[in-house]
Formats: sequence, C-alpha cells, structure tokens
Amino acid sequence: MDAIARIETELRSRLGPDLKGLASPAPGRLFVDIDRRAVRPAARAIIDLGGRYMVGVGWDEIARNGTLGLIHLFAFDAGRFAVVLRTAAPAVDPVFESITPDIPSAGWTEREYQDLLGLKFTGHPKPKKLILADDWPAGVYPLRKEVPYNLEPPSAEDAAYQLDEAPPGTTVVPVGPFHVSLHEPAHFAVYVDGETIKGCDYRGFMTHRGIEKLCQTQVSYNEVPFVAERICGICGSVHACCYSQAVEAAAGLKISRRAEYIRTIMLEIERLHSHLLWLGVAGHLIGFDTVFMQAWRVREKVMWLAERITGNRKTYGMIVVGGVRRDITPEMRTEIEGVLAALEKEVLVLKNSIIGDSAIHRRAKGVGYLSKDEAARWSLVGPVARARGLDIDVRRDHPYAAYDDLAFNVPVTDSGDVWGTLLVRVLEIFESIAILRQALAGMPEGRLLTEAPEALPPLRHGLSMVEAPRGEAVHYVITGEENRPERWRVRAPTYANLQAVPAMLLNNQFADFPIILGQIDPCFSCTDRVAVIDAGSGRRRVVGRTELEALSRGPEAGRS
Amino acid sequence: MSIIAIFINVLLFLLLAPLFEGVTRRITARVQSRQGPPLVQPYYDLFKLLGKERINSARNWAFKLAPPAAFASILAVVALIPFGGKVNALGGRVDAITIIYLLTLGGVSVLVGALASRNTFAAIGASREMVTMVMIEPVLAMTLILGAVRTHSLGLGTAVFGTAGLGYSVATAVMLAAYLAALQAFVAKQPFDIPEAEIEILEGPYIEYSGPDYGLFRYAMMMKQMFYAWLFVAVFLPFLRTGTYAGDILTQLLGTLAVFVLIAVVGSTNPRLRIDQAVKIYALLILVSLGAVGLAVAGI
Repeated sequence: MDAIARIETELRSRLGPDLKGLASPAPGRLFVDIDRRAVRPAARAIIDLGGRYMVGVGWDEIARNGTLGLIHLFAFDAGRFAVVLRTAAPAVDPVFESITPDIPSAGWTEREYQDLLGLKFTGHPKPKKLILADDWPAGVYPLRKEVPYNLEPPSAEDAAYQLDEAPPGTTVVPVGPFHVSLHEPAHFAVYVDGETIKGCDYRGFMTHRGIEKLCQTQVSYNEVPFVAERICGICGSVHACCYSQAVEAAAGLKISRRAEYIRTIMLEIERLHSHLLWLGVAGHLIGFDTVFMQAWRVREKVMWLAERITGNRKTYGMIVVGGVRRDITPEMRTEIEGVLAALEKEVLVLKNSIIGDSAIHRRAKGVGYLSKDEAARWSLVGPVARARGLDIDVRRDHPYAAYDDLAFNVPVTDSGDVWGTLLVRVLEIFESIAILRQALAGMPEGRLLTEAPEALPPLRHGLSMVEAPRGEAVHYVITGEENRPERWRVRAPTYANLQAVPAMLLNNQFADFPIILGQIDPCFSCTDRVAVIDAGSGRRRVVGRTELEALSRGPEAGRS
Repeated sequence: MSIIAIFINVLLFLLLAPLFEGVTRRITARVQSRQGPPLVQPYYDLFKLLGKERINSARNWAFKLAPPAAFASILAVVALIPFGGKVNALGGRVDAITIIYLLTLGGVSVLVGALASRNTFAAIGASREMVTMVMIEPVLAMTLILGAVRTHSLGLGTAVFGTAGLGYSVATAVMLAAYLAALQAFVAKQPFDIPEAEIEILEGPYIEYSGPDYGLFRYAMMMKQMFYAWLFVAVFLPFLRTGTYAGDILTQLLGTLAVFVLIAVVGSTNPRLRIDQAVKIYALLILVSLGAVGLAVAGI
C-alpha cells in the first residue's frame, strides 16, 4: 500500500484545497474526489506517478444535486491498484478543462460526453462529433435522464460529417463504411501519397444503439449480463464477467471459489477461440488464405468444447451476477482435457509453420511500428501493447476470478510491429491451455451462485477490469434505485487501441492498411456498444456438424 | 490443315481454360483442408456472369470497350501460337514481337477500363497493374528473344521452339529459372496477385465491372493463365514431342496441367506481397533474364 500512500501525499501537496476526499474502500481501489478546476493537474499528476489512463465515465446527477459527474479511471499496473478520479460540474455550466493535450487517449472519452451529456472541454485538440449521428438535433443529450431511451428524432437529409483536411499532395482513399477488410461499418479516410499513408481520419460509431442507456432504464441487474454478452460476438463472457464483477464490487458481494474457477475457464476458452479466430483473419488480411482456413479448422475444436460445456458455440450465457449458471462435472473435465491435448498438438504445428514462414516475416516485420513510449502515451492494451514492450496484463496485475491461484507467463516482445503482435497472440494460446489445465485440476467444491441482496444500496461505485483476448475491458457501475444501475460504463479494448491506429498507419504502405488495423483485432461493435438481434425467418433447416464437415472436407472427414 | 489448326487452338483454349482454373481451385482447397467447388465451377461462374444484364456504370465508351478488347487480344494470341508443335497458317505470317504486343494490349485494356471507371480503388489497382506490366513483360520478351538469338530468326515458331529446342544450354537453364519465378506474376496469383488484392483494394481494376463485362475479363484472365502455362511447356519442355499432331497436343495439355498444379501449390502457400517488395523481385528477374540472353549471344 506504499504506492497508494505516495499518490495520496503527492495529490494533497499538488492540489491543496481542491482535493475534496480520498478513500480506499476496497483493496486495490483508490477513490479521489476533486474540484473540477483541478481535473487537469490531478490527471497530469497521476500520469506522472506512473498511472495508465483507462477511460472516463460521465453521468447525470441533475435530478439529485444539479450536477453532471465526470470520472476518470487510471490503472497502476506495477502497484496493482486503480485510481478513480471523481469530479462534477453544475449542469448550467458543464465546463471542464480538457486533459487530452496531456493524455491523447482521453480524446474520445471527452468527445463522447460532449455528445451524450453536453459537457464542454476547453482546449480539446479535436472537439468534433464522435458518437451521435450527423443529423442528431443539437442540444439533445441522450445520456441525460430526461431523454427517453427510445427517442427517435426525425432524420435530416443534408447532414454530413466533415472529414479532416487532407495533407497537401495526398489523395483520399475511402476505407468504409463498408469494406471487405473491416467486416463492420466504420469509415477511415486514408490520405495517401502514391501508396504511402500520410494520415487518416476515423468516423465510426455508426451502429451505436445505446446499450448503456437501455440497461440504465429498462432491465434489471440480473438481466444486464445477457445484454452485456451481446456487446461483442467474441468477448461475450468477458463483458458479462466484467459487468458482474463491477456490480459485486459495488455491492461488496463475495462469490464462491468454484464459481470463480468456472469463470476463469470460460474466459480462457474464449481467449483460445478469439486468438485462433484472429490468426485466421490476419492470414486473410495479408492474402494468405491457407493460414485462415487451417486456423479456423483448429478453432472448430474450441467451439465444440464450448458447446459441450455451455450448450452454445458462442455467446455462452454462463456468467451472471453472483456466479455462474452451469457446473463442470468430472466427466466433462476428462473430455475437456482430451480436447486440449489434441488442440495443443494442432496449434504447435500451426505455430511452427507460421513462425518459420519467411514470406509472413516479409509482410509483418516492421509494419505498423509504434515505439514503447508512444504505446504508453496512447494507453494501448492487450497483445498490441505487449508487442510494444509494455508488460501489462490485467490477469496478473489486477487479479480477478481465480487468476491469483494460477501460474502463467505473460509473453512480451519489443519489436513493436505486427509481427510482435502475432507472436504474442500465438504464445498466449499455449498459456491459455496451461491455465485451463491448472484450473480444471485445482477447482474446489462449492456452490455455483451466491444470491445478491434484494436491494443494493444506491450510489455505490464499482470498477472492474477483465483481460479480454484483445486487451483490457473496463466496466464501471454506479448502483441505482429500481434494481438497476444508475450508470453503467463499458470500455472495450478496441476503444483504447483504435485511437492509436492513425499513429500506427503513418508512413506505412496502403497495402498494409488491413493488417495494421487488423492487428488490434478491431471490434467496432464493442466500441459502438451494439445489440444485434436476429429475428430469424419462419422456416429453418438445421445443418449438423457432421454434415457441415462433410460439405467442406469430403464425406470421410465428416464421419470422425 | 494449318487453317483448321487455328480453330483447334482457339477451341481448346476456350474450352479448357476454365477447367484449369477449376483444377487450381480444387488443389487450393485441398491444401486448406477443404473439399472445394466442383471442377466445372468456373464454367458455371462464366455462364452466370455472361447471362446477366450489362451495366455501364461509368457511362463512357472506354469502360464498355475494355472487356471485349482484353478478350479479343488474348484470343488473337492463342490463334497465332504454334500449338501441338505445329506453326499454323496465321503463325507463319507473324513474329514473336506480335505476341508480345498483343499480350500488352490485353494488359492495357484492363488499365483503360480501370481508369475509365474513375474509381479510387480501380486507380490504385491500375497503377499496380501498370507497374507489374512494365516490370514483368521483359521476362516474357527475353524468353522469346532467347529463342530468336539461338535460331537467328524472329519467326514465331522458331523463337518459341528455339530456346530449348536446340538442346539445353546454360542460358536456357537460367531463363527457365527466371520464367518459373515469374510464373506466379504472369498468371496474377499469390504472392503476386497485387493488382487485384481483394482485401486491400477490392479487386482493384475490376471493381466497377459486373455481369458479362466482368465475365469477359475473367475469361480473358483464365485464357491468359493457360497461355503462360502452355508457353512454359512449349518453350522449355520440347522433349514432350511425340511426333503426331494429336499426341503433341495431348502431351502439351498434360504438361500445362502439371504447371497449373505448381501454380496452385505456390499460390496457396504464400501470402500476397506488397508492390514495393514485388518490384525488387521483378527487377532481379529482369536482370537474370537479360543475363540469360547475354549468355545466349555469347553462345554459352
């Protein structure tokens, strides 16, 4: 706790009377309340002391005390704690000093609350619209309590986003809103000189559906995990787990050890799946479809495993507030261990053939380079950060679930390019397999679900971080009345990494655009926070696994 | 008889080019642990495309003219070439330079169509296509010129069969290596499918094309691939001659099939290169093929 004490003394001396309160209600969490005048010096001080900016949370307290709240979250990975910097401004004059000039990765947070809550930030270097549609009426701030969740303002014809001015001598290549290498709607205006990228402007958030607002007004604490799971098709358990942990932290709820182990197992299965999926996509993005097909063939085993445990190939529906919904029986354990052994063999072949392929080296080495300092400045997370020499991993630095019991390595490289990112991900697959084996062997007995108290006390703050396959996911919950969160803030890893993509693109070849963007494994739906519900047609034909395999690999393969 | 040979040339290329494409698709699928489409899938694709409505999305004549021009130029090439070891009626009237011009015309048609479509991605694709054309055509030219140097004639038949027909020399071996290395670029397969690069520039030059126009481009591309595979067999494997016209055609087709297997295996085990990386390789290939001609001039 020395590090926390050092932060306290430093903040006291730097901020003086602007520091309103300091509290550490839970281990690893320091809540700092300050006056809004001090937001930039306080943020600066925390960064100087070694803090890493995570994200900001804005919330509406107008009905209660006439203010709009703003919270900045910082992680101290070496010291294993997080700092929650809280401040507020009166709703009649919601002006803060921008911290973006000091911390570039805070840029989106501030633009987000400028759009959603009507906050103003003086000195912001790029105060453009971020989230709201271009034809959204001015002065309507959808995250304020007075705005109904289902408001549908009329659309306008002539509204358009103003892209950044292209640097002289360059032409604009539009990548998106629909482009084969994006898979989701997002727009990059890439400024190229010949084939060299000289700059880029991003306009995303095209499918923002306001999941946070929906869950703050329409559903209950126990229903949110299922919505959270649908933020992302790949990191479902991550978001469900992260939300549940935030609620548990706010309520002071301790769940059983067995549930924590099962959560860990689900998270690692998800990582296996995600890394194999990414490996395939990365192969496709550099025009190497054989890597794509082989990685996805191996990935199929993971999906089968998930179906065996949860009944679903993806979107498992396993994690809820208070624990998990299904058990892992001893028979299942034997089966899972069998699949893991087979998987390990296949991934080893994949790893050797990729790492030994000089053609892949040519397309990955030195591409999308970002130095360690730049990576830290942009608050990169996950494999993208670890490939740039930042030794961070939430599983080790801020342990949750059962990770404090398990031994694993965190692969780090310092090549700072696409190759490093690829390497880190491939090595992590083996760590995941090791973690799964330990978790299966060491799982204690216990109940699956710990009931939360009927009514959670309002206005308690809970912060939770989970290492998603792409990097760190952050959820912040402020408890409210009516059995639902007053404020629920989601930050998926892409939100942090995507902001640094223009920096990674600079002076690279246009042909490398797909893989440079692809290396962060961008998930625009996570960033936009979407719920996509497929209503489905009336008639259905079910194609089983055997038939699918027979279709793709011939009748012999299908029978195995 | 030599007039009928022209039609045999054209018919065999028209009929078999999609089949060879089907073979590469099947082999690629096998490498990727897939079953792959039926062998005749490229025929289905072509029939479907050719039966669709013709849309002139760029609204200018150059855009409309480019696909037939590309198709016609490759058709002219296959009409001229000595197939089955026999120079036909047309082939006797032209020389090796004609072939090179006609192939370039096909490439230029693609460029014209791409630039006429006024699409950003097509423009990038066109510039990549242009670089590829300028850098890779010399290897083809040198292959034919090597034959011309050895036989002291630019006549089509002598140039084609001259390279290895007089027996292997050091120059022939060097040219063989250069041609093999350039083969993937000739047929625009990985790692040199850079002008199309689906994931980066969405098929580049062809992005605005659909229906019959796109079908013609695809057909022309398949014929071009078959031509380059055939040329390898004709130039470097003269020992496949059986003596009879039908037998020669059969052995040449089998040889072409083998080259397609090679193309498919190399294509499915390599990622796409960037144009700047490819240019370095092309430059090396030009030097090597120039060296081969130099050796031939010196009689080595």
